[in-house]
Amino acid sequence: MIEMPPGSAVGTAPAAAPEIEERSGDGGRRALSLVLRVIMPLVSILALWYLAIYFSGLPAFVIPRPERVLETLVNDRSLITTHLLSTLQVAVIGFILSNVVGIGLAVLFMAFPLGRQLLMPAAITLRNMPYVALVTVLVLAFGDSIGSKVTIVVLAGFFPVLVNTSRGLQSADPVVLDRMRVLNASWWETFTQVQLPYALPFIVSAQEITGSGSIIVAIAAEWMISSTGLGYIINRAMQQYRGDQVYAVAFLAAILSFLVYALVHFIGERLSWQAGPGDRP
Amino acid sequence: MSSPISIRGVSRRYGRDLALDIVDLEVAASEFVALVGPSGCGKTTLLRIVADLVAPTTGQVLIGIAPPAEARRTRLLGFVSQRPAVLPWKRAVDDVAFTQKITGRRGFSPADLLRDFGLAGHEDKRPSQLSGGMVQRVNIASAIAHDPQVLLMDEPFAALDEMKREEIGEWFASELQVRPKTVLFVTHHIDEAVILADRVVVFSPAPGRILEVITVPKARPRGPEFRQDPRFIETAAHIRSLLFDREEVPA
Repeated sequence: MIEMPPGSAVGTAPAAAPEIEERSGDGGRRALSLVLRVIMPLVSILALWYLAIYFSGLPAFVIPRPERVLETLVNDRSLITTHLLSTLQVAVIGFILSNVVGIGLAVLFMAFPLGRQLLMPAAITLRNMPYVALVTVLVLAFGDSIGSKVTIVVLAGFFPVLVNTSRGLQSADPVVLDRMRVLNASWWETFTQVQLPYALPFIVSAQEITGSGSIIVAIAAEWMISSTGLGYIINRAMQQYRGDQVYAVAFLAAILSFLVYALVHFIGERLSWQAGPGDRP
Repeated sequence: MSSPISIRGVSRRYGRDLALDIVDLEVAASEFVALVGPSGCGKTTLLRIVADLVAPTTGQVLIGIAPPAEARRTRLLGFVSQRPAVLPWKRAVDDVAFTQKITGRRGFSPADLLRDFGLAGHEDKRPSQLSGGMVQRVNIASAIAHDPQVLLMDEPFAALDEMKREEIGEWFASELQVRPKTVLFVTHHIDEAVILADRVVVFSPAPGRILEVITVPKARPRGPEFRQDPRFIETAAHIRSLLFDREEVPA
């Protein structure tokens, strides 16, 4: 038997092995956790769905079987894709404009506190107005146009952005603001270098609400006034007792909203300066 | 060239409370003046008035021949806050450089300054990755990075351990020989005030007013050995008697 000197490369190999095993064990656990996190919700939803079908006794056009919904998604993919693109167009434009209006107003309110007193009540009133009333006015004014639908998405989406951004801009540490004042920093420097970075986690948090909400609101707007988009498909499918199509579109909308939420969350985590790995408690 | 500070008849009210009574104080160019007194006696308020962060209720402050706002505009001021004013998303070295970017004045090399403050190897860390004492040292480095002529320090060493407190105090003592500055230094540490300052201003409890201005009977710089000097012991004892004997007497 060959004796290895202590500390030699080969001699240290057995000591390193458990670490490698531990790492691969960690990787395995992480993969299993990811699979469970994806599969478990799906299994739960499907289980509840089948239980509802079994116990409710409702007809198939009210509560179709999941496989029928999947079949509809595949068979009607051309129709659904066309209308999906229309919905996405409304949602994306509405989302961008919600941010322009929300962040713009928040900055305006910070720079001119009088503007907050003058405009905030109007913003709150608009936010709390029943959408049905707004839709009626918009349809009378602009008809079934993309502008009407985008306006509804913006009216629903700008408020969380405005409130969160305002809160974020106000969250800048007063001691840091004192530092900027003593250094005679300009308004723009203080805004871009201090207040905006402090507000960033708040703005990202608002995106999680507004981003996924834009799709849902766009569909609701289409449902009320449009002849295009997923909302229109739902409306038409209801009239034709096509529960499978309603469920297919609802399922697609939910997946889309979740993906938008996950994407915004992913980007937000990378942009945020808040505590991360390696930080002291 | 550093500037003198002239404080004339300055008082400050917060609502109905008088935080600072009439204060008159002349600080010569390149002089180091420590302000000591019980908590709430208005030391920090006075410092913030000089820094143009708070307006006086009465009186006026001049830095050189101009009001503090002008000193701010010409980037003469450095302000070390008691609580760190570092940017949570910036690495230590970037935070120090940030002061220089804003002021357009490059006084010290950020890396050298951090090394002098015992932060070598921590330049790339963010505040959340540093201890409280380390963050405060970054704070001090950032506040002086543009080599201000007038330095206003509000209990800058309060979060530091005794060893670092002495080290950084010594750094300041020797640095001020090379690059003289006018310093107003708020502290609760009587020994620290006597070691570092030319004069020690003792404040009464609120509403704060000056009880006595004591000249330290030995020129700067003074090392830790000065603690054994009878003049140090006598000066510190006199300040203690002003503060503590008075506190025991009911108002």
